[in-house]
Amino acid sequence: MTEMRTKSWRTAAAIGLAAGLAVPAQAADIVWARYGDIDTLDPHRATSTLSLQVWSLIYDTLLAVDADGNPVPHVAKSWTSNEAGTEYTFSLQEGVMCHDGTPLDASDVKYTIDQAFSETTPSVTKGSWGPITGAEVVDPLTIKLTLDTPFVAMIPFLADSFSSIICDSNADAEGFGTTTAIGSGPWKLISWTKGDRIVLEKNADYTNFGKLADNPGAPYEDGLIIAVVPEPQARYAALTTGEVHIAEPPFDDVPAIKDSGDLNIIVAENTGQNVFWEFAAHRPPFNDKRARLAVAHATDAATAINLIYGDLSIPEMCPVSRGVFGNDQDFCAQYRPEYDPDKSRALLAELGYSDDNPLETALLVWTGGNRQKLGEVFQAQLAEVGIKASIEIMDIGSLNARVRQENENTEGTTGSMDMMTWSWYDPDILYALWHTPGAYRGYTSPELDAILDETRVLTDPDARKAKVQEAFRYLLENAIHVPLYTPGWEWVFAVRPEVEGFKVAPFVYPIFSDVKIGG
Amino acid sequence: MWRFLSTRIAMGALTILATTVLVTLLIHAVPGDPVQIMYAQSQGTTPEQIEEVRRSLGLDRSIPVQYAMFMERLLQGDLGTTIRGGQPVLDVILQRLPNTLVLACSAMFIAIVIGIPIGFLAAYREGSLVDTGLMILAIAGISMPHFWLGLMLLFFFALELGWLPVSGNGPLNLILPALTLGLSNAAIFARLTRSSMIDVMHQDFVQTAYAKGLPKSLVLRRHVLRAGFLPVVTMMGLQFAFMMGGAIVVENIFSWNGVGRMAVEAIFQRDYPVIQGFILTFSVVVVVVAIGIDALYAVLDPRIRRA
Repeated sequence: MTEMRTKSWRTAAAIGLAAGLAVPAQAADIVWARYGDIDTLDPHRATSTLSLQVWSLIYDTLLAVDADGNPVPHVAKSWTSNEAGTEYTFSLQEGVMCHDGTPLDASDVKYTIDQAFSETTPSVTKGSWGPITGAEVVDPLTIKLTLDTPFVAMIPFLADSFSSIICDSNADAEGFGTTTAIGSGPWKLISWTKGDRIVLEKNADYTNFGKLADNPGAPYEDGLIIAVVPEPQARYAALTTGEVHIAEPPFDDVPAIKDSGDLNIIVAENTGQNVFWEFAAHRPPFNDKRARLAVAHATDAATAINLIYGDLSIPEMCPVSRGVFGNDQDFCAQYRPEYDPDKSRALLAELGYSDDNPLETALLVWTGGNRQKLGEVFQAQLAEVGIKASIEIMDIGSLNARVRQENENTEGTTGSMDMMTWSWYDPDILYALWHTPGAYRGYTSPELDAILDETRVLTDPDARKAKVQEAFRYLLENAIHVPLYTPGWEWVFAVRPEVEGFKVAPFVYPIFSDVKIGG
Repeated sequence: MWRFLSTRIAMGALTILATTVLVTLLIHAVPGDPVQIMYAQSQGTTPEQIEEVRRSLGLDRSIPVQYAMFMERLLQGDLGTTIRGGQPVLDVILQRLPNTLVLACSAMFIAIVIGIPIGFLAAYREGSLVDTGLMILAIAGISMPHFWLGLMLLFFFALELGWLPVSGNGPLNLILPALTLGLSNAAIFARLTRSSMIDVMHQDFVQTAYAKGLPKSLVLRRHVLRAGFLPVVTMMGLQFAFMMGGAIVVENIFSWNGVGRMAVEAIFQRDYPVIQGFILTFSVVVVVVAIGIDALYAVLDPRIRRA
């Protein structure tokens, strides 16, 4: 009876919202405000973090990650692979139910993979699933995947919401991706008003096998409203009035919020986000390793980050960030060019640069997140050794296009470098960035290609780790990918004091199953 | 009158067509394409697949071909699908357009109700302290940027007094964004009404009316108001377009789910079909309002419809 009532008010809420009427959140609803909206509820049609975070609440995945970012069993209670790494067999948990009441079994996993590899509308992340050539339902609780060639990055991929299991009943449902999203996750979709809010209710039948929540069953609270509040000051105001329970605060107000103690600040760890120097290496001056090293030695990342972000961000030594396979701060620190302005000046002098003839470069920075201020600190540090960097701030679309354009430009003598930011859950990201042709057509070499090729096929974790770290060493010693800090963006959550149990899993996935809202 | 209207409609259609061509050219001049942005900052896919997605969206074609494809679809009543998420652009716009129109109309109502009486009063008391005081207020209103006024109203009414909600899309949520947008436009209307009325008040036909011995209230009502309103009516049309545009900032501050916010997101994501759909809708609304104002103008001033 109670559940029926809950459903009826929630339906009324959905109708009210659709009609543009204000429906106040019920006492048992968690309200989470974010700066933007999802692109779609179809996990095969988008790549944004905002979308992934919501999919992780509605859908389940075969695997999950632990607090350190390692894949662990979830809907798949175990898995085996053949020695060649071309066949994986997953054994599924019994009793998992889709939100429409149908059991989740191997046919749903097969449906998901078939959709990802559809001839007409393949998943936008098809490439990241790996060279899967077949998904075979061995029995209702066993699925076998066959790969053309070994692809070890598939296992962490299956723990990420990109691989959300889409229940096959979605095929018959109208509006999959916009009005319908049948998953088996801890929260069920009630409605999505694009640009405004997503209304979810708890999946009372939920069993948590491996997701990073203490709660083994259904979420404690009845509903979860994910609202879009683009203006940071408005999010802060809504947090203060209690309209919203959890939101990203305005960045510059974080110290004041901390001091006041009115809201709790939670910083996501192991986000996988890596911010690094990248150079236009096909023309002078950065086609010379010494020029790249001069920049790396002139950069005091720890001081700059502390100045701008305080304790909200930390220096990163490796080309993939903490929580990602292979990351080892001590290992990377041996090869990452250390802060040494004298060494930098010596390299510049060797290249013929002086105060009268400084090394000149554009310094491209992605707008937002106080990165422009950080860029100014770096600019001052580079000026200390005589490098004249001109900051250019632009939105992410322009930055990506411009970096590629700069990398492809082989003419001229003015350099270009950028503070690039990428996020992924596996070192396979290095393959995308630095294997020929490279995501930005940047530095590539046959030697690096060979190392990166092997990181994809080595099935033994120790052997793969050694190869991944060989790639780290190559990138660091040649100052191709000079890591600066982690996390890079969207990682601070302000939480009202009556909210208990909110946490953020690796790769910025907030967990709401443990959340209780006190009086 | 019909001839007058049909000329206006034809000119309006041409304006819309020119706008769509211009926008298509401009959005392609901005660096970065939507597929690249979609896969930015996370691995996602292979370069071959990016090319495949680009091909499937027609982004590998030349700009004129892309425009022709857009027009071909448009003539069939199809604005295409969003690059992000693959939803019909028309649905996405229609879901949000009413919100922006409600906001712009409410703001226009506030601007008229506050601005015109103030302007009229200032004109009536020309040169007095009241006039000076009201015009200082109007200049202050014009000078205040939307984002500042919006945040101040938000902090005062939502945060300090707790009378109104901070964000959302209900009737109560409409008050603050409509006030933000309406108040600065009220100031514009007040200044324009004042100068227009003063202009008319000093004209010979008004002096003649007084000389005939007509009472002041009758002169003002019958002669001054009607003639003085013509420039104000023109301004209303222009300001409505500005309000639709100005709504973008206000929509962001108050999380009002309108087309302005959608357009800004689409521009950052280079979601071409959404941008084109937005511009088309926006220009249609502005042109329709402009034609409406022209018609109203013609009703108020018979010389226009004969011209």
